[in-house]
Amino acid sequence: MRRKIIGYLFPLPLLILILVIFLYPLLSTVRYSLYDIPFGAKEGPFVGPQNYRIIFGEPVFWQGFKNSIIWALGNLALQLTIPFGIAIVLNHRLKGINFVRATVLIPWIVPAVVVAICARWLLLPTMGPVNYYLIKSGIITHRLNFLGSLGLAMPTLIALNSWKFFPFGTLLILAALQTIPVELYEAARVDGANPWQCFTRITFPLVGRMVWFIGFLVFVWNYNIFDLIWLTTKGGPGNTTQTLPVLIYRRAFKTFRPGEASSIAVIIVIFLAALGLVYFKLLAPKKEERVIV
Amino acid sequence: MNIRRPVELSMDYLVVAIVLVGVLSPFVYAAFSSFKPLKEIMTVRPAFFPHQPTLKNYQTLLLARTPIRNFPLFLYNSFKVSLGTALFTLALACLGGYGLARYRYPGKELLARMMLFIYVFPTILLLIPVYKMFSHFNLLDTHFALIIVYTALAAPFCTWLLNSFFRGIPAELEEAAMVDGAKGLTIFFRIVFPLAAPGILTAGAYAFITAWGEYMFALVLLMTSARRTAPLGLATFTAEQYIEWGPLLAGSWLIILPIVVCFLPLAKHFIKGFVAGAVKG
Repeated sequence: MRRKIIGYLFPLPLLILILVIFLYPLLSTVRYSLYDIPFGAKEGPFVGPQNYRIIFGEPVFWQGFKNSIIWALGNLALQLTIPFGIAIVLNHRLKGINFVRATVLIPWIVPAVVVAICARWLLLPTMGPVNYYLIKSGIITHRLNFLGSLGLAMPTLIALNSWKFFPFGTLLILAALQTIPVELYEAARVDGANPWQCFTRITFPLVGRMVWFIGFLVFVWNYNIFDLIWLTTKGGPGNTTQTLPVLIYRRAFKTFRPGEASSIAVIIVIFLAALGLVYFKLLAPKKEERVIV
Repeated sequence: MNIRRPVELSMDYLVVAIVLVGVLSPFVYAAFSSFKPLKEIMTVRPAFFPHQPTLKNYQTLLLARTPIRNFPLFLYNSFKVSLGTALFTLALACLGGYGLARYRYPGKELLARMMLFIYVFPTILLLIPVYKMFSHFNLLDTHFALIIVYTALAAPFCTWLLNSFFRGIPAELEEAAMVDGAKGLTIFFRIVFPLAAPGILTAGAYAFITAWGEYMFALVLLMTSARRTAPLGLATFTAEQYIEWGPLLAGSWLIILPIVVCFLPLAKHFIKGFVAGAVKG
């Protein structure tokens, strides 16, 4: 009995911190979303679902909602496919592979501020080196305003963000791949299987479920990103890169409507929770029936 | 042993080469450019190497200080906050990770799942409540507030990481020490701590890196310019009318350098710990 109590005591400080910094804010966000609180004031009148009505009536919210989905899906596509390929290579026994694995992680540990500053300079329309080299190599014929034009800003940001976070997916998929015994591949090769057959018959069936899980993690992770977008385009041009997290920050700290910002936050939580439920309960591949391509 | 064909091997090396170039070239390019004079940075015909290398960008950044543009102070602030975060995180994560590895009790699974839940938590949601909470306790505009938030962000993952390291240490070692009359804390510091040192270093580095690069909470919780952390300080330079790209590139390098230097030697442990944790989760 005493041992049990001691067992609970060890993680207690961490638990308290999580309750204070994560759980309490979750609950108070729901509460704020039902009040009309002037910024800086402690309290305001209870207004029920009024903040939600205001938000749902605004085109800028719906555009943000759409942008968030495009942003998260675009990032998911890039951060699941490319890392899968890289992880397969990194899983091989090659000379200097530990150095390569370490180097691949660098974009992930580099602060978003640095990525944003370097990208803004490299992508400048008239003085930017990227435009210069793209023209010189004949890939484009005239200079592009990567971060400043309506159609290009979102794809550019998705590519930039995927560059920063591809190590995360790579590492997770590498972890999944390392659960597959090497002998399986060796046996298959002896039987004359080519690399593609190895992938479809061994790799994919065995790690498919894990990659499925990683997919959700990557989607949500990207959905919640604020800093890289804010530091490069601030949601512009013309709100084309304004995802819901950017809109929340704007509402709360630029236009000082914390009640409305909170209701957007609640909508995000409900949306992601519902998505997770559907994803894992309805769409998940069963454990028994192996996914075979 | 290796029955892979030479063609496939060279394909592997080709992929590795492309990835390395893709990862490193932007940084190397920006690094070289930080030594270029302004007329070589802002030009329609840029070159890879600087023609007339200069330290002027670094001089401007580090020596031309004003109260709102005091980059050395910002670096010091970041160092202080990051070190504080690493120490707090390690204290919490060692306790939690050790408890989860050594004791069995109901609710343990739930606790472990909670760590995962933090991963998918929309941190943007925290901005308003955390701002209000710290303002209520008069902790706005303090480094302490940042340390608390950053610890909360880093500690769940570090607990998970350390849990897998502590599991790898046989409990018999500790029991033997107990038989020899050693007490709880002595056992931890004499036996568990040295054996889990790579894990503890890795967790500390993770917490440090998390705090070192964080921008969003620093933006909201800090007001006084003298308290700014390096990422926040550098970002405010870009909001000015005329953007000085030279010092900005120099500043970017000074922010990257310490974390790359402290991370690369630990990368092997980091990957191992991450992989072990990920597979279990």
